[in-house]
Amino acid sequence: MTVKLTNALTLFFSLLVEAMPFLLLGVLLSSLLLLFVDERRLIAVMPKHPLAGALAGSLAGFLFPVCECGNVPVARRLLMQGAPSSMAVGFLLAAPTVNPIVFWATWTAFRDQPEIVFLRILFSLTIAVIVGWTFSQQVDLRPMMQPSVARLMPTPVPPSQVGQSALLQSGTFLLDAAGQPIRLDNLVVAGGTVISRPFPERLQLMIDNVTQEFRELGGMLVIGSAIASMVQVFVPREIILSLGQGPITSILAMMALAWVVSICSTVDSFFALAFASTFTSGSLLAFLVFGPMIDLKNIGLLLTVFRGRTILYLFMLAGQLTFLFSLVMNLYIS
Amino acid sequence: MTVKVKSSASRRRRRSPYIPWQMIFDLLAIAAWSWLLLRYWITGTINVLLHPDYHWLAIAAGIFLGILAVVKLQQVIQGVRSQRPLPKMPHTTLFPVGFSSTLLLGIAIVGFIVTPRPFASDLAVQRGVADTLIMTRSQPQSFRTSTRPEDRSVIDWVRTLNVYPEPDAYAGQPVRVEGFAVHSRELSDNYLTITRFVITCCAADVYPVGLPVKLSTNRLDYPADTWFRVEGEMITETLNGTRQLVIQATALTEIPEPANPYDY
Repeated sequence: MTVKLTNALTLFFSLLVEAMPFLLLGVLLSSLLLLFVDERRLIAVMPKHPLAGALAGSLAGFLFPVCECGNVPVARRLLMQGAPSSMAVGFLLAAPTVNPIVFWATWTAFRDQPEIVFLRILFSLTIAVIVGWTFSQQVDLRPMMQPSVARLMPTPVPPSQVGQSALLQSGTFLLDAAGQPIRLDNLVVAGGTVISRPFPERLQLMIDNVTQEFRELGGMLVIGSAIASMVQVFVPREIILSLGQGPITSILAMMALAWVVSICSTVDSFFALAFASTFTSGSLLAFLVFGPMIDLKNIGLLLTVFRGRTILYLFMLAGQLTFLFSLVMNLYIS
Repeated sequence: MTVKVKSSASRRRRRSPYIPWQMIFDLLAIAAWSWLLLRYWITGTINVLLHPDYHWLAIAAGIFLGILAVVKLQQVIQGVRSQRPLPKMPHTTLFPVGFSSTLLLGIAIVGFIVTPRPFASDLAVQRGVADTLIMTRSQPQSFRTSTRPEDRSVIDWVRTLNVYPEPDAYAGQPVRVEGFAVHSRELSDNYLTITRFVITCCAADVYPVGLPVKLSTNRLDYPADTWFRVEGEMITETLNGTRQLVIQATALTEIPEPANPYDY
């Protein structure tokens, strides 16, 4: 028992020491971008077509390399600043995986199985684009959002009104000095961004953000690593093997584990590595693709943006697509 | 009268001075983690936890946290002096206030008390020592192995066997390998398995590789987990129904545990 406990502790600290640098890098970059990049400009250059918008949103992770705790606040700000639903949902699902830090961390852990690294990106991107495209059918997202967020969202302009004079559109307007109407909801949002504050204060806020995210995500990492090392040491190997070798059971087990453990996407590949010798490659991919999209931890965060039913739709769509892709991987590729 | 007002105001201030407790806890957690990471490096314990390629990442993280701790200390001092909170980022937190920093601080303290130990034979037995590399394991496309068989390490032998698995091809070759003893239940009392753990990234992915050693006496003379240099020659034997390569030992010398217990 003592030996097992020592082994579990060694494993636990090894996971923490390996994951900590990546966690810090993610936190640091997300804080930098949060305070020094203007999202409104990004929204302005986004393509208007739903599919292209979903793809652009999914790839925006390269600009905002945040993990799944950082991306909910960013997606929330994007929505409040009038980003189309396809872009915001694409970003929400893909950004935690499709970004350079997660790519590097996954490469570090799985450099001997490069197919896992590339398929992780490909599957996440495809799922995010499909789900983003599906959500784009709902032009006005406000009924799906929490009332507090919906109030701050600008009224979407229906396609029939694009190019029309503001006087023919519905909404609340103010007249500026030149007598031109300005949408009131746009004005409210414009005043609230951090980027408009003076530099020293932004720096102060950045340090505060780094600390808050490190604390919150570090706490989550500790819990996740503890679960991973205990499963490794205390659960009999026969049980893990019998679960991990079936093409379907292994995927379901790893998806459930991803959901419960809620480990940050910058470090989850090290967690998955602990199961690499006992679980099918498809199930490792399912863990790496599904976990960053929706897990127990970010349901709390998602509830600050969406209504419960919307989260359920996201969960079902992302879950089924992950299962399907991983099964194809298990049956036909690996 | 004026004097009286002043003194009561200052008494009020003295009664409830602003102390940024949350910031102090954050500072302690950050400083503790910085010191823990740097301590692992200084004491060499990092060898037990990580592959050498990634040591610099942990060291850089330790240094970064150290700098962050100094900045936080300045902020705490500034907060206490000015008696007002600093600007804060609005944040949605999942855990109750103070939970995460207490957890991080607590775990760092556990890290100071408990020194991670290299894995030993019990984990090797649990994970299954083998002289083959299974699918998910590191399978280098090329590796340089010494042409002299007696210079091959345990992992060199296993990789060589993986490329050309016919045991008879190696029979009669001289062997000199180092590793720790594992007493496998599948083998009889005059066999032990000379074992090394191989690491690819961190201790979470270590896996054991080993070769059976045929002894002239009972294996209890060579306790499990003790490190040995085994000298002898390769023979082929059928163990548990499979024909495999076995080291016929001529000498077993006890050696100290190496500073870096893993092989790559």
